[in-house]
Amino acid sequence: MNLALNTDAATLSPIALFLQADWVVKLVMLGLLFASIWTWAIILTFLFRLGGVRKSIDRFEKEYRAADDIDAFYRMRGDGETAAARVFSAGVAEWRRSTKRKPVDREGTRERLGTVMGAAVANEIDQLADRLNILATVGSVAPFVGLFGTVWGIMRSFTAIAGEQSTSLAVVAPGIAEALFATAIGLFAAIPAVIAYNRYSHRINGIEARLNRFADGFHTTLSRQLDSGQ
Amino acid sequence: MNRGEASAIAVAALGHVILFGLLSAGFAAAPNPMELKSKPIDVSLVDAVAIESAAPTAIEPPAKSIAPDTGKPSDAPPPASAEVSDPAPESPAPEKAPAAKTSDTPAPEKPKPKPASEKSDSSKTASHKAPSRKTEKSTPTKSEGKAKAKPDKPRGSRLGDDFLKGITDNGEGKSTSPRAEKISNTIVAGLADAIQRQVQPCANRITNPGPGANEITSKLRIQMNRDGSLAAKPQLRGQSGVNGENRRYAQRVAELAMSAFIACAPYDLPAEYYDVGGQGWKDIILNYKLPG
Repeated sequence: MNLALNTDAATLSPIALFLQADWVVKLVMLGLLFASIWTWAIILTFLFRLGGVRKSIDRFEKEYRAADDIDAFYRMRGDGETAAARVFSAGVAEWRRSTKRKPVDREGTRERLGTVMGAAVANEIDQLADRLNILATVGSVAPFVGLFGTVWGIMRSFTAIAGEQSTSLAVVAPGIAEALFATAIGLFAAIPAVIAYNRYSHRINGIEARLNRFADGFHTTLSRQLDSGQ
Repeated sequence: MNRGEASAIAVAALGHVILFGLLSAGFAAAPNPMELKSKPIDVSLVDAVAIESAAPTAIEPPAKSIAPDTGKPSDAPPPASAEVSDPAPESPAPEKAPAAKTSDTPAPEKPKPKPASEKSDSSKTASHKAPSRKTEKSTPTKSEGKAKAKPDKPRGSRLGDDFLKGITDNGEGKSTSPRAEKISNTIVAGLADAIQRQVQPCANRITNPGPGANEITSKLRIQMNRDGSLAAKPQLRGQSGVNGENRRYAQRVAELAMSAFIACAPYDLPAEYYDVGGQGWKDIILNYKLPG
């Protein structure tokens, strides 16, 4: 007499839940799944990219402090391969352009040097922070999208309940489970996105501060050179 | 999108596929809460209902069966043996007895009970002890029951049986009255058994809505088609066992009971008792109680 339902792994697996769902819920689930994949791709990309940037800045600053002659160092490392090197070469290039003609306008040169290097830093940060907005969007929107899928699925299963004139758990449960799966995927995509967004925002702020400090230091050096040299 | 991002997407997609594959394979499957112990439910036919549904066709027979009952104590030995073979010993019986005799003696009367008992034999294989009990009862009527019939029938229904047949033959269809007589309490109990057995799987799935809910007995009217499917939605015909504590579950219990009967719908019941003179399982009323 015991006809216990086989509703364990067979019917509650993600694949089965997806296949049973309404097409709207299916669409939501697919979209959230792609959002999740995209999020994790961005997380992995940032993991390697930010680590590399930090290491390159460390190395460049070390070599910069060790260097005696800025021109010689520019010839050696002014290729613009790393973020700090690009800021450095932007400063050196502006210095050369401004000091080409005599007499040198010191105030104007200082101002231009500051502007150019500030722009270089901002450019680097913009490139680094590219796609970070996607993490923010997924983190804030994915739960709502999942909730939409859930609400839609539950509405649909309530309609089915009304149609079958039955309120037993066996009738209600599959539809609810299938609907809640949409929210689960939404949270599954959103939680890592929010965590990664906060973490990477913090690290990019740190990188920006370091680049700015380096640019300030280099600006000070050039400014001193301007006063003494010419 | 550069090469680093492309490879990161590939890695992320692979990770998702692996994760969902593991989940699909039951890696983190929750234990099934449905696989708990299943308690039996109490389904029984309301005794009064058999009488109630039989009322339309049985209006005349009960009235007339009183007469042979009163006459029976004196006549009991002779009719038992002579009922079919020779009507002569019945001559001292009251006035109505000859009327029964005249219609009893013709040959066509005997074959009628036989098909009924044959059907009951076949139904015995399908449904259970109750039909078999019924055959015990029907065999005497078929095969000129002799002395054995007397201890079996304490209420004298045996005499009334053939007697009624003769009476009703004049007015109504021939086959209705013997069958109406045969759908007795034992058969009703057998039908109740069969229905309970078939509704049990659906009842096991029902969760108890709240404390005290299993004390409520719902009386349901079930109308069925000949193929065992429901002809109409089950109707609630009252509830008992409702007290102040479980009053708020009463409606829910009734809904659960109806849904259980709908869910297990095509019922496999002996076809010959579908519509027996207004009785049978065409239109029955059941008591339903939640398990526990």
